[in-house]
Amino acid sequence: MKSAEKISRRKFIRNSGMGLLGFPLLYNATWNVAPSDRIRVAHVGLGGMGNQHIRWFSGFTDVETVALCDVDQSRLAAAAKNLSGFKPGSKVDTYEDFRYIIDRKDIDAITCATPDHWHALIAIMAFGSGKDVYGEKPLSLFVEEGYKMRNLREYNGSVFQLGTQIHAGENYHRVAEIIQSGILGKIHTVRLWKTGGSPGLGFPLNETPPVTLDWDMWLGPAPWSEYTPVRCHRTYRHFFDYSGGVFADFWCHIADIMFMSVHPEGLSTIEARGEVPDDGIADTPKWIDVDFKFKNLNVYWTTNPPAVPGADKMHIGAHFEGENGTITCDYTTKTIKIGNEVTADIPEVPKTISRSPGHQRNFLDAVKTRNLPESHLDYAQEMTLPMHLALISFRLKRRLKWDSQNRQFWDDPAANFLLTRNYRTPWTLPSV
Amino acid sequence: MAKMKKYILISCIILLFSSSGLSQNRDFVPLFNGRDLTNWVLAAPEGFEVILGEMITRSYGPGTDIFTAKSYGNFILRLEFLLSEVGNSGVFIWRNPAIQSNGFEVQLLAPWTPWRPDLYCTGSLYGHVAVSNRPDETPGIWYSMEITCDRELVTVSVNGEITTIADIDTVETLAGKPFTGLIGLQGNHGAKGQYAKFRNIYIRDLDAEPDYVLKGFHDKNDQRRKLARIAAVNLGAEMIQPLAGLLSSENTAARSSARQALFDIVARASDPENPENSRAKVRSAMNKSIQVSSTETTVNYLEWLSGLIAE
Repeated sequence: MKSAEKISRRKFIRNSGMGLLGFPLLYNATWNVAPSDRIRVAHVGLGGMGNQHIRWFSGFTDVETVALCDVDQSRLAAAAKNLSGFKPGSKVDTYEDFRYIIDRKDIDAITCATPDHWHALIAIMAFGSGKDVYGEKPLSLFVEEGYKMRNLREYNGSVFQLGTQIHAGENYHRVAEIIQSGILGKIHTVRLWKTGGSPGLGFPLNETPPVTLDWDMWLGPAPWSEYTPVRCHRTYRHFFDYSGGVFADFWCHIADIMFMSVHPEGLSTIEARGEVPDDGIADTPKWIDVDFKFKNLNVYWTTNPPAVPGADKMHIGAHFEGENGTITCDYTTKTIKIGNEVTADIPEVPKTISRSPGHQRNFLDAVKTRNLPESHLDYAQEMTLPMHLALISFRLKRRLKWDSQNRQFWDDPAANFLLTRNYRTPWTLPSV
Repeated sequence: MAKMKKYILISCIILLFSSSGLSQNRDFVPLFNGRDLTNWVLAAPEGFEVILGEMITRSYGPGTDIFTAKSYGNFILRLEFLLSEVGNSGVFIWRNPAIQSNGFEVQLLAPWTPWRPDLYCTGSLYGHVAVSNRPDETPGIWYSMEITCDRELVTVSVNGEITTIADIDTVETLAGKPFTGLIGLQGNHGAKGQYAKFRNIYIRDLDAEPDYVLKGFHDKNDQRRKLARIAAVNLGAEMIQPLAGLLSSENTAARSSARQALFDIVARASDPENPENSRAKVRSAMNKSIQVSSTETTVNYLEWLSGLIAE
């Protein structure tokens, strides 16, 4: 490593609030895959999805689950117990502060299933300490965080996989093959939907946080707020301070098949409509409809299913309209319509895309080979971007024009202001 | 007995309201200019016409109504009406022509044979709330009518006497319906040759009055609180300081509605399509609010929000 890089990395570590144990966090460029070929994994954020991570990863023979972290001691204890159920005899270290995990040199990879407002910072600090990251969706809370993540991952050479596990399934691969075969003609319109939206969550009074919970750490870079249970575990998603509602939750899953198959480019305009809940303190969309204009492609997101056959029975779905036909799909089913013919598959379309060994396995393989995993960071960031821009349009209640080259909105300082937010002291978003 | 007490209480409130200047036409604006149907939209081309300062039903039968171009939620409406023999018309409130079940009709009716009960006579909320004090219904003479929609409380009076008081929250047939919509006049609902005439139509839009709107943030009804929020956003800069005050309210609903309203006011001002002086007004009100806010959470929120319209 060149000394200039060393200095800049040291500076980066200091700026990002690391060095918790007081020793310099410098790593050489060799990766810490143990000689035995086992990958030492730590899990950060131990709610429902975090426990899935524990179960999924501990099931691989080449994974050693070495550490767990959550800001809530009761969740931490429950997760440790779960692990010993999945893998009897596991020895695991538990932490309430993820920086202990960042500081450990013997950990190869982390998974992150915290609320969204922590995603970018934890990933970036993990990259800085030479770790690979399997990070839950959505990728980040702010657009600028996504670009920072890309820069720093590239600089550190880490492997990143977004936790869009449906990507790995057979159905998305087959849908992508059929679309890419050209049999439907050029795709000019995509309709995406997810029924339901954020509930209001009522008007609870503020409370003292439970003694097991480090509320200040849970908030982390987010603005300070008094504690009330609905702002925290399970329902934090319905607050813009921490996430973007049902829309942000499901966008990545269903937009994934659009990016996998037609990979839209040249996003130019975004126009969202919708409403916030009236029956509670939640502030993310009760419903949201969005019109996106990409280069040669119109994309429509709706909260109600579009008026296409079969959509009304699907709570989430994607409908592709080509010059010669359409395909409608969800996570596990697909319907193709060419002329008057409706089929579930087109056997003549050859298998052209190699199948995934599974989303977590694909990540672990990438940790070893240093190849890009299937939902790598650049792909994930491009896929997540329209969702964030749509929420800005929703909040400002106006049509926005995006400048893909300069990564900002045209002629709208307020919209650009919402591309990021200063972190709460002492947290800062590092830069290279 | 309890019901009686409530009545007396409500009447006292209304008296207080009246004595504070509502009886004058101050704050009232004409809804009908006496010359043409500006501010109004005909449901059918032949429904109404204007003759010598009066709006007169022209055709007859359902679908010949006329509606305001704008929606109204909380307001005081004043008008004068005259019915022909057996005339049948009405004043629509909170109406949406596309959703017939929304809103209600304050009935205007000349005496019919057979006799119509109090649930369907002049002053009743037709089919929903009967009059408690039936007015004179003699055809061929002018009556004044005042309809007040004050959140859940709807009051109708004819020639200065209250005929009907309704707490909409207790009217089962109106449960779940919007508290806003178009005001309308029903076309001649009787037979050919019968008619209704209207003149001197004035409205005081309470949702354009900051103090009234601010109280709406404490309303226990989610939909009415939402209307207060929308009204506040329409008022803009002048609502910022009062709303910032609500950010430290003990009332969680008022607090979170105020937070959203503030966001929406600043977001609207931040639209590059809006003139810089509207942004300057909002900016100045935000700065004043920041200076007087006592809690750190409030200051942080307002400072962040000001970033949307930073110079």
